[in-house]
Amino acid sequence: MNKILVVAFREFIETVKTRAFFIGVILMPGLIVGAIFLSNSITEAGARERAPKKIMAVLDQTGSVFPFLEARIRKFNDENPQRPLEATTTDSDEAALQAGVRRHDFYAYIVIPTGVVADDEPCRMGRGDSQLQLGKTLERLIGEAVKDARFAASDPPIDRKRVERLEREVPVTTVDITTGEATRDDSMTRLMAPFFMVFLLYMGTFGISMGLLTSVLEEKSSRVVELLLAALSPTQLMAGKILGISVVGLVVLATWSLVGWFGARAQHMEHLLSMTRMTVLVLYFIPGFLFMAAVLAGIGAACNTLKEAQSLSSPLTIVNIVPMMLWFYLSQYPHTPLSVALSFIPPITPMVMVLRVCADPAVPIWQIVATLTFLWASVFAAIWAAGKIFRVGVLMYGKPPTLRELARWVRFR
Amino acid sequence: MDDALVLNEVTKRFGTFTAVDRLSVRMPRGEIIGFLGPNGAGKTTTIRMLMSITYPDEGSMEVLGRPRAIDVKDRIGYLPEERGLYRKMTVDHTLRYFGQLKGMPAAALKSRIGELLESVGLSNWRRHTTESLSKGMQQKIQFIATILHDPELVVLDEPFSGLDPLNRDLLETLLRDLKRRGKTVLFSTHQLEQAERLCDRILLIHRGRKLVDGTIEDVRSRFAARKLVLSGEGDFEQLRRSPGVVDEHVTVGGAWLELDATADPQAVLRRAMEIAKLTQFEIARPTLQEIFVRLVGQDEAAAVLPPTEATR
Repeated sequence: MNKILVVAFREFIETVKTRAFFIGVILMPGLIVGAIFLSNSITEAGARERAPKKIMAVLDQTGSVFPFLEARIRKFNDENPQRPLEATTTDSDEAALQAGVRRHDFYAYIVIPTGVVADDEPCRMGRGDSQLQLGKTLERLIGEAVKDARFAASDPPIDRKRVERLEREVPVTTVDITTGEATRDDSMTRLMAPFFMVFLLYMGTFGISMGLLTSVLEEKSSRVVELLLAALSPTQLMAGKILGISVVGLVVLATWSLVGWFGARAQHMEHLLSMTRMTVLVLYFIPGFLFMAAVLAGIGAACNTLKEAQSLSSPLTIVNIVPMMLWFYLSQYPHTPLSVALSFIPPITPMVMVLRVCADPAVPIWQIVATLTFLWASVFAAIWAAGKIFRVGVLMYGKPPTLRELARWVRFR
Repeated sequence: MDDALVLNEVTKRFGTFTAVDRLSVRMPRGEIIGFLGPNGAGKTTTIRMLMSITYPDEGSMEVLGRPRAIDVKDRIGYLPEERGLYRKMTVDHTLRYFGQLKGMPAAALKSRIGELLESVGLSNWRRHTTESLSKGMQQKIQFIATILHDPELVVLDEPFSGLDPLNRDLLETLLRDLKRRGKTVLFSTHQLEQAERLCDRILLIHRGRKLVDGTIEDVRSRFAARKLVLSGEGDFEQLRRSPGVVDEHVTVGGAWLELDATADPQAVLRRAMEIAKLTQFEIARPTLQEIFVRLVGQDEAAAVLPPTEATR
């Protein structure tokens, strides 16, 4: 036991000193926080931009819409003085207007056909660039102007202001059931929070336990391993390494949880990190991490180069991406047979279950017990098999084994 | 006192290939034992089995009185053939780590490391990373890691490979020192003159089987009576046809004869004294090199003959 601790301690220290750990624990959360602040301030800076006046040439075939458009643009200019617009009326044909846009005579041309007021004939617009926001603004201005014309042409006349007053939005306030207070409108955050949890789970397990694979490979390629085996059994060596890397994993999880918790508090979104969610996260993280660590230790012991190890672990990498790809499905439909079935695939059980429990805390308790039992059983099976592979593989140099050969190593006595 | 190492009909197979074939041997404590054999003879496999790194398919063994080395790992020092160090770790950290793995208390480690580094002249390198050391220095560090915990039994797989003559001498001195302090040393090597100088006992294997084992004196004397060197004045030609001569080389001034096991060297001497005035008669002691070449050569020849011929 003492020797296992010696190995675990070294593994922990060496991993903490690596670049991957620095990136994972310090840089990544830092970058995420930084990115959020940065994107906020960039957007703010963008809003303060002073743009030159944009001119639209309007071919109004209805003869009634243009004055409404001008009025709408005037109103827009009053509200957005730093991004002025201007509409001029024209009689040129569409081809000439397109040439005009190409020559930069004006920013865009707009054709308002006769059928637009009474029927559904579409308006046409051509622009010199593809700025998203400006395009949306122009579409909205044209639409409002046409609607103004429709209201004006209605018989008997209808007061648009009254209609808008009746059609106004009905506000709904979201209340936090634990504090009883109103929360901010955060449906998007609610949706994304479990995704972030799963992403962290993925980074935490796969990212950190990948370090174990590299460290086993390093011990093999630098030929240290047999000197180590002079002092302890392969099983002890593997147990120590897995223990050490698991402590690293726990440190990472704890750091990120703290960052997340303070972040959520700062944003008044504590309700996203409920006790249930955190308990589930920890309950599944530990066996999930051990499973991955055991499998990667086995793969590391079987291979000689990072390249071989990557190709041998690629099925695992692909399986691990599945919950990320299906996160929307899993969080919208947590009770479908597919969601339940995915919960029983050991490497992704933690991620799938976290998504499902976040989506609906009423996931049947038998499923939680069953998935955890199955996951822990897989952990022990993986450690046992990895131990066998480790014992044989660690002293094997040369060609990497095929999956069939690996199965034979497991059966060695 | 019981033996340091005992092997009983130990067999190890890899698939259809038999790496070690019913190997039986006893090695007493307190001696330096040379483990000899050509490349691929099964030395490393045998050593790994002794160290509980791999396990025999058949047969049993005893290491320091226990059936498995794993039970007595802290009393054994093992330097594998495939050896290296953590490149980014300092010499001090590396040795501490190995010391702790061997169950040494931290307090004792510090002075012990200093002492051993001193003895190989690497005291100034204690704070350097191992990758900044030359290959020879790294090998010394590996050797220190092997004997750090003052083991009773030291097993070294090709410890001399890659060492320059100065370091080879240093290592020989260190091994003799271990023996003087009552330790048992087993090492494998290709360098036969060295084994001859250093060892009390040898074990020679080929194709996984034992060809010979015993003390150096014992092994030599078993082959000693077979080679005669004579010189003087007379007609040595007649000696060519003496009974039991298998190989000869006769000149005007002398003869060199090799006899088979049935021949009596004394009879050849009496005959030579009749026909010549001898100035020299010597029953040459074969070198380990010659014994090695002959035994391995015979075994090689036996392997290519049909079984009936080979066992005749």
